[in-house]
Amino acid sequence: MLGVDKNLVELFYRYRDLAPQLVPLDYTDKPAVTLPYELIGSMPELKDNPFRQRIAEVFSEDGDGNMTLDDFLDMFSVLSEMAPRDLKAYYAFKIYDFNNDDYICKSDLEKTVNKLTRNELTPEEVNLVCEKVIYEADVDNDGKLSLEDFQHMIIRAPDFLSTFHIRI
Amino acid sequence: MSYHYNEAFENPDYHFSETLEIDRRRSSQKNLFSHQTPYDSSLHGSYGEQSGRGQNYPLEIPMASMRHGSEYSEDLPRANVLSRSPYGSSMYNPSFEPEPELAYTSPPAFHPLDRSYTHRISNVSEDSFIRRRSRRPPDEIFMTSSSLFEIDPVRKEELLYYYPKIWICHGFYAEEDLVGNLASMSTSERIKAIQKMPETMKKKREIRNKVLKEITKKSRHHSTQLSCCTQCLQGTAVSFRRFGNSLSECFHLLWFWHRALKIIGAKFGTSVLSYFIFLKWLLTFNIFSFLINFSFITIPQFVAAEPNNLSFTGLELFTGAGYFQQTVLYYGFYTNATISKIENGPSYNMRLAYIFTVGLYFVICFFILLFSMAKSFCRNFLNLQTYSGNASKLLCTWDFNITNEKAVKLKQKNLSTQIKEDLTEVNREVLNFSVKERAVRIVIHLVSWIASLGTAVAACAGVYFLSINNLKLFVKGNKNDLESQAAMLVLPIAASLLNAFIPFFYSWLGCLERYQTPGHHVYVTIVRNIVLKISIVGILCYYWVNIVAESESQCWETLIGQDIYRLVLVDFIFCLLGSFFGEFLRRIIGTTVCVSLGPPEFDIGRNVLDLIYAQTLTWIGILFSPLLPGIQFISFSIVFYVKKVSLMMNCQPPRKVWKTAQMTTSFMFLLFFPSFVGVLCVIGVTVWRLKPSEECGPFRGLSSMYTAVSEWIKMLENHTASKWVVWIYHNLITSALFFFILSIIALIITYLCWKIIQGRKTTIKLLRKQIINRCSSLYDPPRQPAQHVPDYPGAAFDRNQNASYEELWSQAVIIDYAPGVCPGGGDSAPAKTRPLEQGPFATKGLLVFCWPLRASHNGGDDSSHERAGQKLVEGMTYT
Repeated sequence: MLGVDKNLVELFYRYRDLAPQLVPLDYTDKPAVTLPYELIGSMPELKDNPFRQRIAEVFSEDGDGNMTLDDFLDMFSVLSEMAPRDLKAYYAFKIYDFNNDDYICKSDLEKTVNKLTRNELTPEEVNLVCEKVIYEADVDNDGKLSLEDFQHMIIRAPDFLSTFHIRI
Repeated sequence: MSYHYNEAFENPDYHFSETLEIDRRRSSQKNLFSHQTPYDSSLHGSYGEQSGRGQNYPLEIPMASMRHGSEYSEDLPRANVLSRSPYGSSMYNPSFEPEPELAYTSPPAFHPLDRSYTHRISNVSEDSFIRRRSRRPPDEIFMTSSSLFEIDPVRKEELLYYYPKIWICHGFYAEEDLVGNLASMSTSERIKAIQKMPETMKKKREIRNKVLKEITKKSRHHSTQLSCCTQCLQGTAVSFRRFGNSLSECFHLLWFWHRALKIIGAKFGTSVLSYFIFLKWLLTFNIFSFLINFSFITIPQFVAAEPNNLSFTGLELFTGAGYFQQTVLYYGFYTNATISKIENGPSYNMRLAYIFTVGLYFVICFFILLFSMAKSFCRNFLNLQTYSGNASKLLCTWDFNITNEKAVKLKQKNLSTQIKEDLTEVNREVLNFSVKERAVRIVIHLVSWIASLGTAVAACAGVYFLSINNLKLFVKGNKNDLESQAAMLVLPIAASLLNAFIPFFYSWLGCLERYQTPGHHVYVTIVRNIVLKISIVGILCYYWVNIVAESESQCWETLIGQDIYRLVLVDFIFCLLGSFFGEFLRRIIGTTVCVSLGPPEFDIGRNVLDLIYAQTLTWIGILFSPLLPGIQFISFSIVFYVKKVSLMMNCQPPRKVWKTAQMTTSFMFLLFFPSFVGVLCVIGVTVWRLKPSEECGPFRGLSSMYTAVSEWIKMLENHTASKWVVWIYHNLITSALFFFILSIIALIITYLCWKIIQGRKTTIKLLRKQIINRCSSLYDPPRQPAQHVPDYPGAAFDRNQNASYEELWSQAVIIDYAPGVCPGGGDSAPAKTRPLEQGPFATKGLLVFCWPLRASHNGGDDSSHERAGQKLVEGMTYT
């Protein structure tokens, strides 16, 4: 995904810059270094992103947002320009699926809405919006959005490709 | 071979389908419908080692010894797994069963469509999902498959037939298969397939290494003597890739762009960013054309340059006249001679170089534009009926580019106001206008259209008379006095003024009209602006082609080149002034004098149209002033800087949701259609119809520029070595018949494609309708749990219905998802349909993406795909 080696090197330095004392420059013997979420979440690229914790959780091996270099590379390769649409959709789905139940259900949507609007909507409004979203995007009528529903929706939102993208 | 790893195997329903559960139960309970086939333990030996949780089921072979120190012992409650997730506690589900056996040994009276059962299944899948995401070692990941291995072989074969994906993703066997499949792909395909897997880097690396091992094994096996030819090829491929890498690193040196784009994206989001990306694209485009023109036209000209005896005062920079007339900047300076430095050595024919360079440049341009437009179209207009609703607004609009704290807050605020507006709109009924109101609206629209077109016509008339005036000045001579030089600038200034101020009038008109949707407003305004700009350029072209070219001036091509130079320059200056007055002063006013206005927003539409206008001028000018792209490159770079600084200092992020992707596509289209195609027409007329001036330029003395080519061909006819060029020229390029046939073929292909698209569209529509019908019939009436699954008399029918629903759904999604690679089309392997009387499905989406299955299991018969199609059509006609 990171077609250019330069990107990889750049990403490695970014990773190392987060904690120069922890991350060795020499990775030949594959040291088991894991950076805590606090460091990952403080990157300028993620710092203000309302979904930063989710992103880190989804891409981290332990599910708590602590990342190894591989996880870090994974994350930015999915969020890079070159990543295919399906891959992006899959991870976006995981990000919005807060409770990891493989469906975006109403509670997930509520969390998303609150994150997107910084809790500015009243609970009734949030409820209404979530219902509308499910009504619109739920092709199979099971009251929650599956990955297929989500992908189906993504196709019709061409902006998704350019917005689900973090520049390094 | 197509490997649609991506979408399919995340679907938990794959590995936890009803059928599987039933099968497990069969093997464990040995009830009346279990298979009588003797258990073949030999098959399991090879798979036994993946058993993570196999002990949960009655087993024929001892599994405990094969555990890989898995922490999941048989008595480990599932809740433990769940609590690993940060939301573990919140995930508690009352219907959750910690031990899967409970589900399987539950009273025999359950029906495949029993809802609570489905629910349990989803819990199970949930579990597996978390495991997968929590990156357990493979032995645990494959627990699903391991549980399947207890099924007797016949069932397994059957299952393999219907759920190959399971095996692909979950199991050693599957992995081997996957590796084999990947190994048989071409390198680029394989890389793509591996990239598409939603797996961790580690896993991907593992797979890749295995694949590579497999490949080397195979190649050693097949051809022990690796021919030096392939080695050579590989060597060149590697060095080529290295070259590409280093080239892209060179481009990375343009670090400035990258950083600037990142900052802009972080602060203003993708919509504003798209303007800058467009600008960057034009910039590279201009560099490219400059390099071509410079190397093939200008450098040879330097060799044969004549001394320039005109004086340089400085004012020429603005007018482009005087000193510059005798430089490589303009057509008139180029020689018509054949340049050869060495006697009898290779020579360089300036005429041919000029015409071929420009011609080839336009051909390349045409294809670049066409392809980037087509790419953009197929990426962004995959489905024309985009969601206007909330779903995508909510889940797809968050702009991950934005990393600036203020921008994030603003974006959140905008989103919440938007959602609020939408909610109020729901309650509001669609406005029903009375007849009178409607009439008034129509009249308003009519009047504003008349007004806008009228202004465009008036602007054109003004430009036309000014330009006629201008020409008189030229012809009169006395070019050197200041007054006439200033007068030369009148025309470009007037054109730029019109271009700058009429858009404001148009947007005011748009406000008067009060369109129902903002999108409508934007599009109407853009259409009007485009009409204005193109008609101004059009009238100028008319003036150049019909009046300047016929005038008795010494070198009309240079005159046109100068005109265009001035237009480009003044347009550039106006662009700078525009960002000063339009943005800087507007911000001062908005923040100090009239606070309610606030800082201005960046007007993407207007700015992009300005770029398109400038690029059109450059294209027209290439023939008359070959170095114009270089000038345009400089001016675009400055515009990039200035716009960026002005944006950072003055503007605020746009409030409206701007459909960036679609807008970019339409801008690309605008650049192609009126702009580039118009330029081609003008250039065509100039090259084929107009008589070049007698005393200057490479084509002096010819009846038209094109004559240079036909004379060259005539000359070639004498050489036997180049007969083929003559043949191509006579039979292809100048032959009307060839073009007639070519266009007929193109038309036929277009028509066919169009029809195919229409067919697909109707299919999608019908399928969607059917899904809705099916869904309502499936989910609405509460289902009665049946007594016996297989003996239940209605079961067959029910399953039938259900299964066809699955198929329809999968079809719908696939057709919708990738119109180009419909089932069976392209590289996808023949699809498989499930015999409907086989195991029932309770959860939907099971067969989705099952289409491009591996051919290895059905021997690759194409007929199954056709059968599926037939069934589908029958199903559709049924409703």
